[in-house]
Amino acid sequence: MTDYISAYSQAGHLFIPRLFQGFPEIKEALMSNKMQAAFMVAPMAIALRAQGVPVKIVYLGHRYGSAVVVRKDGPVKSFADLRGRIVAIPSRFSDERLIIYRALAANGMSARDVRMIEMAPPDVAGALAAGAVDAFSMGEPFPSQAEMAGFGRVLFHARQYWPDYISCVLVVRQDVIDRRPEAVQVLVDGIARSGLWLEEKERRRQHREHAADFVGRYYYRQDPKLLRWALLQPIDRVKYEPLSPRRADFELIVRMMVETGVLEKPIPFEDFVDTRFAEGAQTMTPWKYEAGDSSAK
Amino acid sequence: MIRLRRIGFGIAGWVVAVTAAHFALNVNWPVLMNDRLPEAARKLNVAYIPVT
Repeated sequence: MTDYISAYSQAGHLFIPRLFQGFPEIKEALMSNKMQAAFMVAPMAIALRAQGVPVKIVYLGHRYGSAVVVRKDGPVKSFADLRGRIVAIPSRFSDERLIIYRALAANGMSARDVRMIEMAPPDVAGALAAGAVDAFSMGEPFPSQAEMAGFGRVLFHARQYWPDYISCVLVVRQDVIDRRPEAVQVLVDGIARSGLWLEEKERRRQHREHAADFVGRYYYRQDPKLLRWALLQPIDRVKYEPLSPRRADFELIVRMMVETGVLEKPIPFEDFVDTRFAEGAQTMTPWKYEAGDSSAK
Repeated sequence: MIRLRRIGFGIAGWVVAVTAAHFALNVNWPVLMNDRLPEAARKLNVAYIPVT
């Protein structure tokens, strides 16, 4: 979205967006410096840092926007009905996995009560429709895809068990942060402005409709109707503000990663987050851009 | 002889047209050009997947 709008601005494209289909490929591209920055699930970024990969989280991609989905006509009516069933998750290093653990604890269940399997995000809706899995825990627009197609039902949204839930974060290589902090700040500023644009009070609905249209066509290669559903049903299904990385949010994720066995020991917030770019973006204002405008400011 | 020459021109024209179409449709020129810029002027490559 930032790329599309900034193309109309005086500065032009701020970065080069590159589409991937899975998080492991993104991880490899980041480590080999083919990509200098990436959006990835927060626990994966933390795990990379813990393994010594020189990257830092500098901003969030969004808040909320993940859900657990079951078959509409299936036997799972409540979370307790997932006992003994298969749940697809995007990665063992994902917040979508951690939300299952939170729901398990809240319902007096343990990790032994469900079987979690890793699956590439674009495959989960098809797997649910075919009965290969009983549920999936995934970010949008895949919950919307299952709902829109008529075979899926949201069992719960992440916010039900996790207030201020975060999933995708912006990760940047440390050498880029050290050598080109101004380029990182431009990127973060652009994302901050896009978030504010999507949340702009009076124009919120129109901006989200427009964003669904151009992101679906030019970036996600998905039906704009699907993204419209994800961004508007209801309108706070995904939030794009505040996007500054907060210590308490990440300390909770680290604690849960340790408890669920994907991180050996806690790592300090400062070791994997660089807050200076978020601080620098605090004075940003929404893009001044409407559908059909020939320029953005 | 003239016929052979015509066939030759036809094949050459076809190869040029397909090559031009390939360069226009399949080569990511912004990425290619960006990689050739000095590091300070280069735009960041940012990876994303079609999720939220």
